[in-house]
Amino acid sequence: MATLSLRTIRKVLGANAILKGIDLDVQSGEFVVLVGPSGCGKSTLLRTIAGLETPDEGSIKLDDRDVTRAEPRERDIAMVFQSYALYPHLTVRDNLAFGLRLRGESEATVKSRVEEVSQMLGLGALLDRLPKDMSGGQRQRVAMGRAIARRPKLFLFDEPLSNLDAALRNQVRVEIKKLHASLGATMIYVTHDQVEAMTLADQLVVLNSGKVEQKGPPLEVYARPASRFVAGFLGSPSMNFTDAVVSDDSTSAVAEGLRAPIDRQRFGAIERGRKVVVGIRPHDVTVRKGESSAHGYRDGATPTEITVAVDVVEAMGFEAYAHGPVGGAPFVARVEGAADALPRRGDRLALSVEPAHVHLFDPETGRSLAGAP
Amino acid sequence: MRALAREALALVCAMILIVCARDAAAQRTVTVWHPYRGAEQQAFDQVLQAFERAHPGVSVTTLAVPFDAYAAKLEAAIPRGNGPDLFVDAHERIPSYLARRIITSADTAIARVGSDLEPIALEAVQSGSERYGVPLALKCLALFVDEELWERAGRPSLDSLESIARARAALPPSAYPLVYYASNAYFHSAIVHALGGQLFDPQRGTYAFDGSPAIESLTFVQRLLADRVIPPEVDGASVTPYFRSGRAMTVISGPWLVGELGGGRRYRVVVLPRVRDGGRVMSPFVTVEVAFLASNARAPELANELAAYLASPAAARVRATVGRQVVATQSVWSEPELANDAVLAAFRRAASRGRVMPTHNNMRLSWEPANQAIRRALRDPRATRVAIDQGRRRYEDASRPLPAKRSPLPLQLALGLIALAIALRSVQRARDPDFRAAVKRSMPAYAYVTHAVVIVALLVVLPLVLGATTSLYAGRDGALEYVGGANYWDIITARGGSLFASGTFYAVLLVTVLWTVANLALHVSIGVVLALVLSRPLLKLRAVYRVLLIIPWAVPSYVTALAWKGIFHRQTGAMNAILSSLGVEPISWFAQFSTAFAANVVTNTWLGFPFMMVVTIGALAAIPKDLYEAAEVDGATPWQQFRHITLPLLRPTLLPAVSMGAVWTFNQFNVIFLVSGGEPDGATEILVTEAYRWAFTRQAQYGYAAAYAVLIFGVLVLGTRLLERLTLGKQGGSK
Repeated sequence: MATLSLRTIRKVLGANAILKGIDLDVQSGEFVVLVGPSGCGKSTLLRTIAGLETPDEGSIKLDDRDVTRAEPRERDIAMVFQSYALYPHLTVRDNLAFGLRLRGESEATVKSRVEEVSQMLGLGALLDRLPKDMSGGQRQRVAMGRAIARRPKLFLFDEPLSNLDAALRNQVRVEIKKLHASLGATMIYVTHDQVEAMTLADQLVVLNSGKVEQKGPPLEVYARPASRFVAGFLGSPSMNFTDAVVSDDSTSAVAEGLRAPIDRQRFGAIERGRKVVVGIRPHDVTVRKGESSAHGYRDGATPTEITVAVDVVEAMGFEAYAHGPVGGAPFVARVEGAADALPRRGDRLALSVEPAHVHLFDPETGRSLAGAP
Repeated sequence: MRALAREALALVCAMILIVCARDAAAQRTVTVWHPYRGAEQQAFDQVLQAFERAHPGVSVTTLAVPFDAYAAKLEAAIPRGNGPDLFVDAHERIPSYLARRIITSADTAIARVGSDLEPIALEAVQSGSERYGVPLALKCLALFVDEELWERAGRPSLDSLESIARARAALPPSAYPLVYYASNAYFHSAIVHALGGQLFDPQRGTYAFDGSPAIESLTFVQRLLADRVIPPEVDGASVTPYFRSGRAMTVISGPWLVGELGGGRRYRVVVLPRVRDGGRVMSPFVTVEVAFLASNARAPELANELAAYLASPAAARVRATVGRQVVATQSVWSEPELANDAVLAAFRRAASRGRVMPTHNNMRLSWEPANQAIRRALRDPRATRVAIDQGRRRYEDASRPLPAKRSPLPLQLALGLIALAIALRSVQRARDPDFRAAVKRSMPAYAYVTHAVVIVALLVVLPLVLGATTSLYAGRDGALEYVGGANYWDIITARGGSLFASGTFYAVLLVTVLWTVANLALHVSIGVVLALVLSRPLLKLRAVYRVLLIIPWAVPSYVTALAWKGIFHRQTGAMNAILSSLGVEPISWFAQFSTAFAANVVTNTWLGFPFMMVVTIGALAAIPKDLYEAAEVDGATPWQQFRHITLPLLRPTLLPAVSMGAVWTFNQFNVIFLVSGGEPDGATEILVTEAYRWAFTRQAQYGYAAAYAVLIFGVLVLGTRLLERLTLGKQGGSK
């Protein structure tokens, strides 16, 4: 258990600035997930924490000790690699014991730790196997076991689940969550998968092109994205964005087929006529049945908040995603209902949305127009 | 139509005419092979042209064959009818040529000129009641005197080697009173003869380089070396530079030196001196150059006539004046032009004091043991007696009686039974419908592999079987007789001697194993270290270094071997130059086992490390970078990363390379043969060079050499299987 603090970490590789001044504080026992698209610098940041890369600028403190220039072996950190990086010539037992032996632990300690870890992760039957004789999930567990056996101050995970199939990924994700709970260790986890990010994190750190876009508890980040980037990155399908103009009475943002109510409490008074980007998650709309056309959707006379001319419907079984243009931009709406009650191509959907679910962003900077919460 | 028929008829007539003309011409052509070059060739061609002029309608076709392959070409061509009608060679080969029936009696030709030929030369070509070949010229050693140095030394007496040795004090330190190829038995024999001994007893046909004359001769030369009368480690090639650079007052050499000297120095040629003051004169071996009449000749009469003509005074005059030959035709020597030629006259006088080289078959077997005995004795005077004894033993070893001829019946019977069993089994299987169906099904598969099977059978299996079969035969000069396993028995029992005496299979095997292990250790360690250095991503100009380091591998190994042999030369080698600049005494690299072995190993390491380096670079590139990072995070220091990650992960790639390298090194003929040549005294020979010696320098004992080869094959099969077993065991039984 340890605390970690990063101050203005910068890293340039060749002509590319990979990290552009990262500040981050990790509390003891916290599970921090670094998330972002490919190339955002999350892996480089993790490797910098591990000591595999040296920052060009900034400082890294582990438990108040400055380790910015320390060798990886001097940091007492464990890392689980995307490729697992198991030693192919060593059995599971020796893989688990490798770090302990290097640190000169007694054979008795080594034995008991290996025992303990293999029990914790259910590796007992695999101890004498070589990595090549195991499945991906088993190797993944060995890689975690190798990290755990050392009892390091800090665990680093570099996209540890991305080589697993979907079902296994869900299962191991839960295992990692449990592990964190039982070990109470400080962990930093890198992923580009928002589901992992949302489910695992105590603190979510969204990175975009070498900078921290937003950090905070995952649900808060989800509910109050600080920027159009964060809003679009989290959630699936992604948030809908439409260019709009604030209405004369400043109560709504208006575009063709869209009249989105503005939450005064969150956004304050916004001058009328201002150009904004309206963000609405597909899950946050409700169909106003009486006003929709065909299949029980009637084309109503009263103006609705959102009107979508459906051109594609993706049926998922328990729900469907209806696609169509709104205000010149593509729009996706989640629709619930039985298969025969779903909208079809050519239908007009009337949707409404709660003011709390309408996000407004500055079209220039992409930052949220909401004041500090 | 008629026109066509007429043309066809004309064509047929023309062809008949051409064939007839060819036939007629063939009867008037005589083919001559010779090994001459330079002035000798020029003179020979002139003589042949004169012969053509004197015999209208006769044309002489000549072929100059390089000396190295001369005998082998003759032996191959003549029995097949495409050899020469007449050829020129040294008289020592008479027994060998007689054994192969490629020469016929020259009595008719000799009858025409016989009385004019030197008696010593006629004696040389006598075998039994007949004479084979017409003697043309004599070759032997004489003493070349550098006039300038001789005068500077106060014109010392050249009457004996002892008086020449006394000139030491009068000469500058860089010059020597006498330079000659002291460690060679051909040169040394002249001294032995003067002391009443001989190298070989032609009457009894046995080795004779032992007893007190041998010891005395060696002690005498040791004395010359110790007193710096003669320089150390002179070989045939280094005599010329000594003389040309004015560092040799006298030189013992043959007529060939005349051509090499050019006009640079003022010299004269005199007969070889006495050894001791008042003692007997040195008596060199005389080789007679002979025109042989080939059996199977197409124009035997013409050949006979040409042979006689070559020895005639007219031809001899040209050969002597133009070709600088000491001709065997006596009458021309009274002609003023020759009588006044001091050099030729001196060689002629030297020949008259010489001793005809014995033609006995075992004579050729004596050279190697005698050479080794002389070299050893000159290197280590205390071991003179041992060296002489060793020489005799080696001779006896090489000339030992062949194993008794055996009936091949048991082997044939066994092979027959095996063949029968296989045939029966095949018939049995062929009747099985399942088997026939299986064969039919896999027909297309056979079509795919047929060419590979044929090639492997021709290039690998057939030579192996032929070699193994040859090993059951014994004989000299290619006359092989079936002896069963006698060759193997001889080898395995060390021919009855001590098992680990020098030159036995076990002693050589030990050296071979040592050689292989030492080389592999160096190849692998240097290769791995360089690969690690070259794999460092930060190293600049990596590609350049890689190419540079692969060059030793790309250069043909014999070129490298010869270059390294030069580097280790005692007088002119770079290694000794470096040592002496560091103040270290020059080392005679090939005089002791340790340094000769080291020289071989250095050469082969130079040749061998690039392969291991390239293999290692490839293997290193295949180790994921992640593993090093994982180890680094786990707490491994760079050394621990090497020890726990790099080495174990290199092993699977390196092991096959090592076992392949082991086979190559075990059979590395080029380096041993070209660098140390087995020196000192065959101590650095490995099995494959030893097999070569039996096949090609000890009277072509092919059967014995083949038995060696089969044993080498066996050792390698066992060795690689053992290595395989070991490595499989070490990999934790994982497959």
